[in-house]
Amino acid sequence: MGDKPLIEINDLWVTYWARSAFQLRSKPFHAVKGVSLSIKAGQTLGIVGESGSGKSSLANAVLGLVPVESGTIRFDQHELSAMKTRYPAAVRKQIQAVFQDPFSSLNPSMTVEDIISEPLRVHTKMSNDQRRDLVVELLELVSLSKDHLKRHPHEFSGGQRQRIAIASALALQPKLLVLDEPVSALDVSTQNQIINLLYERRDALGIAYMLIAHDLALVHHISDRIAVMYLGHIVEEGPADRVYKNPAHPYTKALLEAVPLLDPAKQRARRAARKAQPAYDTPRDAQVGCPYKNRCAQVLPKCQTQAPTPFSVKGGGVASCFLVADAQPTSEAL
Amino acid sequence: MKTATKNPYNASMLAVAIPASTILILLVIVSIGAEWIAPYDPLKQSLREALQSPSSVHWLGTDNLGRDVLSRLIFGGRIALISSLEATLIAVVLGVPLGLFIGYRGGWWDWAVMRLVEAVVSIPGIMVAIVIIAILGPGLHRAMIALGILYSTAFLRLARSVVLAEREEVYVKAARVIGASSNRILLRHILPNIAPPLIIQVTLTIGAVLLAEAGLSFVGLGVQPPGASWGTMLNTAATYMALNAFLAVPPGLAIVITVLSVNLLGDVLRDSVGRGIAVSVKPTTPTAKFAESTTTTSQPNADDILHIQGLQVVVNSKDGSEFPVITDLSFSIKKGETLGLVGESGCGKTITGLSILGLIGTGGRVTHGTINLNNTELTAFSTQQMEQIRGDEVAMVFQDPTTSLNPAFTVGDQIAEVLRVKQGMTKKQAWARAVELIDRVGITRPAERAKAYPHELSGGMAQRIAIARALSCNPKLLIADEPTTALDVTIQQEILDLFRDLQDEFGMAILFVTHDLAVAADICDRVCVMYAGELVEMANIDELFATPRHPYTAGLLSAMPHASDRKPPLPTIKGTVPVPKLWPTGCRFSERCDYSQKACEQLITLTGTTSQVRCIRANEINLGASI
Repeated sequence: MGDKPLIEINDLWVTYWARSAFQLRSKPFHAVKGVSLSIKAGQTLGIVGESGSGKSSLANAVLGLVPVESGTIRFDQHELSAMKTRYPAAVRKQIQAVFQDPFSSLNPSMTVEDIISEPLRVHTKMSNDQRRDLVVELLELVSLSKDHLKRHPHEFSGGQRQRIAIASALALQPKLLVLDEPVSALDVSTQNQIINLLYERRDALGIAYMLIAHDLALVHHISDRIAVMYLGHIVEEGPADRVYKNPAHPYTKALLEAVPLLDPAKQRARRAARKAQPAYDTPRDAQVGCPYKNRCAQVLPKCQTQAPTPFSVKGGGVASCFLVADAQPTSEAL
Repeated sequence: MKTATKNPYNASMLAVAIPASTILILLVIVSIGAEWIAPYDPLKQSLREALQSPSSVHWLGTDNLGRDVLSRLIFGGRIALISSLEATLIAVVLGVPLGLFIGYRGGWWDWAVMRLVEAVVSIPGIMVAIVIIAILGPGLHRAMIALGILYSTAFLRLARSVVLAEREEVYVKAARVIGASSNRILLRHILPNIAPPLIIQVTLTIGAVLLAEAGLSFVGLGVQPPGASWGTMLNTAATYMALNAFLAVPPGLAIVITVLSVNLLGDVLRDSVGRGIAVSVKPTTPTAKFAESTTTTSQPNADDILHIQGLQVVVNSKDGSEFPVITDLSFSIKKGETLGLVGESGCGKTITGLSILGLIGTGGRVTHGTINLNNTELTAFSTQQMEQIRGDEVAMVFQDPTTSLNPAFTVGDQIAEVLRVKQGMTKKQAWARAVELIDRVGITRPAERAKAYPHELSGGMAQRIAIARALSCNPKLLIADEPTTALDVTIQQEILDLFRDLQDEFGMAILFVTHDLAVAADICDRVCVMYAGELVEMANIDELFATPRHPYTAGLLSAMPHASDRKPPLPTIKGTVPVPKLWPTGCRFSERCDYSQKACEQLITLTGTTSQVRCIRANEINLGASI
């Protein structure tokens, strides 16, 4: 494959058309607005954003669960956006997913064996014995055992269910695994168990991950690169360490600073520096100018009318913010 | 602790299932062997013996043509069985696949079929059957085809509604990602989940068909004379009611008992195949007698708002026994203090909050200990007395503001209602105060926002409203149960700041329940760490984070995403929180602890005064270094 990324997303728009009873015309809601991203084989891209940032819509578009409004998604040598959610089997088996809620992502009426072997039944012509052996092997990879084969999902804890979901997603040895908030429904002590498992599997199998989460710190542990989304836009992208330790975009900084520090004394000092804010009450969606202008503490006059393009950041990556451009006036590249 | 030995749930299920299935099995046997069991030929007439009362020769008497009623009843049972199965089968085979199809496909197909179904069900059922029979001609099988078509609409609507609900489930999304075809998703993934409602519908239909068959035969459209069915027998009985009233009793009872048995058995079946019902786990350790608090019973200090001493809460398990979910819990909160209650899910944090409010519900109760709120003992309070306390003295903010606010009322109304009920304000006063409060929790344009419904507000905004409602009567204690967990981090920060700000003004104490230690670090003065229903560590916030003394606290701290910026493997706590029934007898954390010893198997008590820890090795192990 050489240097060519495994998946390349270019100027992607995902739009939902909402129609209420008394409206004749559907109203568009743009969940993803011109996103461009790429992931290299075996690498992890973390996508971070708050609710409504469009990160799950982006994942659903890649998985072929929602149609693409415009733009392209190239995966391997396939042009996915042209397939209009009808991916051929050859593509389906290469892109698998693990979803957030382990309580509804597993079919309550199926046994663990049914769930894990389902992708194999759909895509391979294995004999029952071969399939059973592989399922047991997969179970052991996620630290469960063959005693669990005949059990139903409700007999497992959240962490165990997520292990089952991961085993099922790995069954076909995909090239890309889309992880949509894989640990946010789990307890702190189990979260890291799952992160460790994902990390270990990635290195063993060379899978690329598209890891979607709301917690930058969590994403940072396992990602090679991080993209930060705000209202459908990618506002910052770059190497994981750089984005986490030297965030360039004011929104990324706000996200990091909003998480309380584990040192109460330091947190008190940080807290003293700010005062209780009134509820954010201006329209979230800025139609013109910078999407973050209404919430930005460092907003400039030109942000009101002009949308910043991605400017390259010292240390790698890009950020769509004029402050970054002003700091490095010479560089302007994607 | 008292443990009930009976198992009322299973017992009642069996008490219904055994007689109901016995009756039905008997009906099947009798119907199959009707020729051998029935004492007479059901069609054999003997006018000399007409309309006899029950006797040793004819156990249930004879009808107008002198035919043996018992024999006719037995042969009628065969008709009842065949006809109800026939019609129900037709209804299922016709209705379920079509319902699945239109539910999954939607669009034009769904529209067209549903309009047709609506047309059919808008006419009385028996009329539809009569129309179909008019087309097909009379006779039992034709009548049953008619009934099958009629009842298929119920199955169609049932299957459709289940599909409409299930297709939104994440597991269907997961199946699409796997690459399963629509047919496969429908048949293999969705269809099995239709079983519980389908069973109920089948039993209801069998009952309905039995009655309808009797009805149709009664009006002469079903079984034709001289054939024996329960319906034709009733028909005869009606004619000769004046001469022999007993004739109506055997077929009438047969219909009632059979229909009742089928329905009851259906209920039991549905309950037993219902998805997601956990298989009850047998406790490996006997439900131990949990020791009463060994720490000295302390009296509340003068400046304590809340003082809990030796609290034990039990909940009912499905098998009828009770098991503890909180044991030996003691803590107090001072005026204006924020106490954090920290731990993972299943550790008893929420139950603690609910027991203070007296809201555990019918599923559980406080068995030991005292809850002293502002020098008033709450455990002995009646429901009415608790209602007085709630809102006035103690109020609560829940995790999900969008569900804790009533969607049917404006947010202003919901705050004003509390003020009217609790403080006796007039409608106008209450509304004015509600707007003031909405303004106070940092919502701009409060007068306008007060008229908004909860769904018109963002999550953060709705939580501010919930806080305003909780503070409306100036409570001494505010219980906040994971109030920021459902919110984005930037909104969480706003809400935490608001809590602190309001505390400065209103001076209430806060019991802040959270699983997130970072949130506790921000808002709390003191923290109680709970694990498996008991307090394992209590300390001032700075002390707890600098020098955690319980291995569980240290484990939680090191597992926080922000605790390190290293690559995996990240530090973990092995295993998961045990369910209450499987708590170890000694230290409940011992199975997951890296420091556990033989001595940890005995009962561990809480030690210390201002800061407390429940670990026998707390003084010898150094946990601060591990973070």
